[in-house]
Amino acid sequence: MEWFIFKAADEHLGIEVGNIYRVVEDPAITPVPLMPSCHMGLTYYRGEIFDVIDIVRLLKEKRATPAGRARAILLKWSGKNLALVPDGVSGLLWVGEGKDTGTVYSEGEYVVRLVTPEQIWDQLSGLSYGHPEIPEDLHPGIEKIP
Amino acid sequence: MDIQKYQRIFTQESKKYLDELDRLLLRVEKTPDRLELWEDIHGKVHSIKGMAGALSLDRVRDLSHAMEGWCKAFQNGAQEASPAAIQTLFQSADLLRLLVKRMGEIMSIEEQKWYDGAMARLRRGPGDPGPAEPDAAVSPASINRSTVEGIDYVRVRYSLIEELLGFSQELLFLENNLPPLSLEQMSTGLKTWIDEYAAMLKGLHFRLAQLRLISVADFADLFVKTVRNLARESGKKVAFNVVGGALEADITLLERLREPFLHILRNSIAHGIESPEARVKAGKPAEGEIRLEAERKGDSLLLRLKDDGRGIDESRIVRYLKEKKSLTDGEIARMPRDAFFETILNPDFSTARETTSIAGRGIGMSVVAQAIEYLGGSMTIRSEKSKGAEFILKLPVSLSVIYAVNFILGGYPLAIPTSNVLSIDKRKTLSPEDREALYDLGAALGISGGEDGPGHLLRLKPPEGSGRSSVLVAADRIIGNRQMMVTPVGDLLARPGIFAGVGILENGNLSMLLDMESLPGTW
Repeated sequence: MEWFIFKAADEHLGIEVGNIYRVVEDPAITPVPLMPSCHMGLTYYRGEIFDVIDIVRLLKEKRATPAGRARAILLKWSGKNLALVPDGVSGLLWVGEGKDTGTVYSEGEYVVRLVTPEQIWDQLSGLSYGHPEIPEDLHPGIEKIP
Repeated sequence: MDIQKYQRIFTQESKKYLDELDRLLLRVEKTPDRLELWEDIHGKVHSIKGMAGALSLDRVRDLSHAMEGWCKAFQNGAQEASPAAIQTLFQSADLLRLLVKRMGEIMSIEEQKWYDGAMARLRRGPGDPGPAEPDAAVSPASINRSTVEGIDYVRVRYSLIEELLGFSQELLFLENNLPPLSLEQMSTGLKTWIDEYAAMLKGLHFRLAQLRLISVADFADLFVKTVRNLARESGKKVAFNVVGGALEADITLLERLREPFLHILRNSIAHGIESPEARVKAGKPAEGEIRLEAERKGDSLLLRLKDDGRGIDESRIVRYLKEKKSLTDGEIARMPRDAFFETILNPDFSTARETTSIAGRGIGMSVVAQAIEYLGGSMTIRSEKSKGAEFILKLPVSLSVIYAVNFILGGYPLAIPTSNVLSIDKRKTLSPEDREALYDLGAALGISGGEDGPGHLLRLKPPEGSGRSSVLVAADRIIGNRQMMVTPVGDLLARPGIFAGVGILENGNLSMLLDMESLPGTW
């Protein structure tokens, strides 16, 4: 089975190539408020909208600067769309039968953790969305503008 | 041009003229003193006659010719168009439609009698009703006129087609004009070309996607004549009115609603709207009303179909709940009203105690509920005795095009439907009333800080029931009032619960459409 390998902080992750739709250089990303810090925004590609995720921020929760716009890996599976922005793309790796997701696979220079898009999705779904500190008395009359 | 191609054009064009003819006859029926309408009616019939003559479709030509004679008489005022005369023309138009579809062929003795009867009636002229015998001009019972034809074509704005053609031509030019570039120039030159190409493709996609949309008014047009026919058959007077008809929705969604709508309309006319005499006795106008109201709410399309008839027979619901569900009077009385009326959606519930020719044909409201559920929507039923019944369909909108005011706040592109915006002003010193009306959108969206710049204030319609005359929100920069395609929010964007959809602008840029009523805080 062939796996698409990319770098996220200090580890390599692998996603089965059948889930990879495209790798897009420097996509335009529209930011969306009230989303978790790893949600960089939305990108529109060939008539479809993808949530763009800083994969390092998702996995590590914190890092000093958000990912740049170098590359986005567009995933499509089970009717879902997601774009991952990694630190870098490493390439393709053929992994013999018997290696399943969750496996940490080591070959040559790579130590790769094999994941499914659904596992990434589950992690995203577990995050907090919306304003964490919405004032209960927010109403017309609270003025912020001079 | 080959004959088959001619025939295809004849069928398409005649269908268009016949649809217009139906609409014009409905109008002239309401306002018989508007003689100028007869000129238009005459024109449609004449066009069909001309095309039929060229194709030697004698029956179509002769029938159109006979109808023309009546039109001329009404047009120049020689004869007065009585309701009976207009009804004859409606029936003749039905026959004409059948003949056009069959390229003039008659397939049964019943149809031949219909044709002969119609021709005899038309030839006698509007002033001579003839012998008092069963009207042979009426369509045979086997021809079901209380159905609605499928959506097999859409009307498209010609300007939109022109735009599409212009775009595709420019795309071709771009491909032919790929500049000869040296290796050094290649990277920047090629990138510019590709960028332009991509921008054109996005524009093309934006326009092509609009071909999938039809207006609610066009959808409602499918039912106008059916409502008239059903009302006439049951001896009732019914006006079918549409509010919010300009709203557009995906054709596949509306096509699937055709049968459910027809079922609700049949029930309204058969069981809801009273006879003119009963209505007058009850202090209502003799003519009943069925109203279709369309509204976009968040990422849903709300369609309300309501009548001003006698309301749903609650005693039948009570009997059903007691007999089939073994509920007591007390339990029934405690049921929420929505749940009480939802009883009629049970597969074994039927309101059709008396089966009429137009309702109670064995298809229960459960089939309607299933169709709505299939579309991922929901239906709420309301009814009040002597006031009428209301069916509220809430449907997910897979695609729609709206105008929205696009603006930037704290670096985020946002949009509010133009229909909700009363005015836009430069940011200024606020009056005490304006201070009271100000809603801190930035705080509600968790946006800290904004862009430097003059800034603007959007004055919005207040949410229903807020008791306010308007609401003010601030924007750093106004992009403009733009047409945009709205797609539903995905699973992640739905989480904050304040986005009505993702707007795609003509240039491919995105903007989050705000659902103002879902924003936090007390309005």
